[in-house]
Amino acid sequence: MTVRLIVRTFSELCLTIGTLIVLFVVYVLYWTGVRADSAMDGELGRLQDRWSTGPVATASPAPDDGKPHEPAAPAYRDGEPFAVMYIPRFGRDWAKPVLEGTATGTLQKGLGHYARTARLGVTGNFAVAGHRRTYGDPFKDFPRLRPGDAVVISDGTTWFTYRIDKRPYRTLPGDIGVIDPVPGTSGYDGPGRYLTLTTCEPEWGHSHRLIAWAHLDATAPVVAGRPAALRS
Amino acid sequence: MYGWIWRHLPGNAWVKALISLVLALAIVFLLFQYVFPWAEPLLPFNDVTVDQGMGAAQQMGAVR
Repeated sequence: MTVRLIVRTFSELCLTIGTLIVLFVVYVLYWTGVRADSAMDGELGRLQDRWSTGPVATASPAPDDGKPHEPAAPAYRDGEPFAVMYIPRFGRDWAKPVLEGTATGTLQKGLGHYARTARLGVTGNFAVAGHRRTYGDPFKDFPRLRPGDAVVISDGTTWFTYRIDKRPYRTLPGDIGVIDPVPGTSGYDGPGRYLTLTTCEPEWGHSHRLIAWAHLDATAPVVAGRPAALRS
Repeated sequence: MYGWIWRHLPGNAWVKALISLVLALAIVFLLFQYVFPWAEPLLPFNDVTVDQGMGAAQQMGAVR
């Protein structure tokens, strides 16, 4: 009788743990994506609302003479969206909000801007991190980025078109030099307006990071319509 | 375990089945709402930055 009880309880325990694992896999593979998609849509909606109801955007596009953007723009607030990123290589409809900070909760709602890196469009390095897997898989196709690919970012007043300069570069997690104002090992030899994207490598692991660098190629006021890189 | 629960649920077989279903759904909800969101960041899929785990001191130092 006791043997029977033990065997039965043990098998029930195994079944329970198995069910738990299956449920957790469903959560990670599917439910985080559902949640992230609705969170990203929410952030995009908030941005659109702010841009359509806020003060009229009078900021002219950053002049291409090497001077920094005028500092009158409001500061990025931690955890708040401030821009939308488009990468045609990832799909025509690929548009993700960029939020300030790289906290775990922030990255679940969109891409995260490294708080200590440069602002959008100024001299320095605008560095952004994003999930490769789970939470909507925003950077799933990261390895497909090629030199010349456009990364277009809008902050509500200006379109910034960055161009990827190298194939994605694989590095170690502690290599913070890749988000320096002039990123090391990137091949850039002087100050400029750079963009760095980071995600995890391998796809489901965390032993390495994948890095992509781009430089600012063109700016245009939002009122001028979508830039050429998004129209093709 | 499950036999013990089944025996201690009130009502006839149909009522028991209904209560079991509600209990199971409630547990799944609790898991998805609270337990899994806590457990998931412990897995490696969140490590997408290059300065994670470097500590605040390092980040402050990097601001200079």
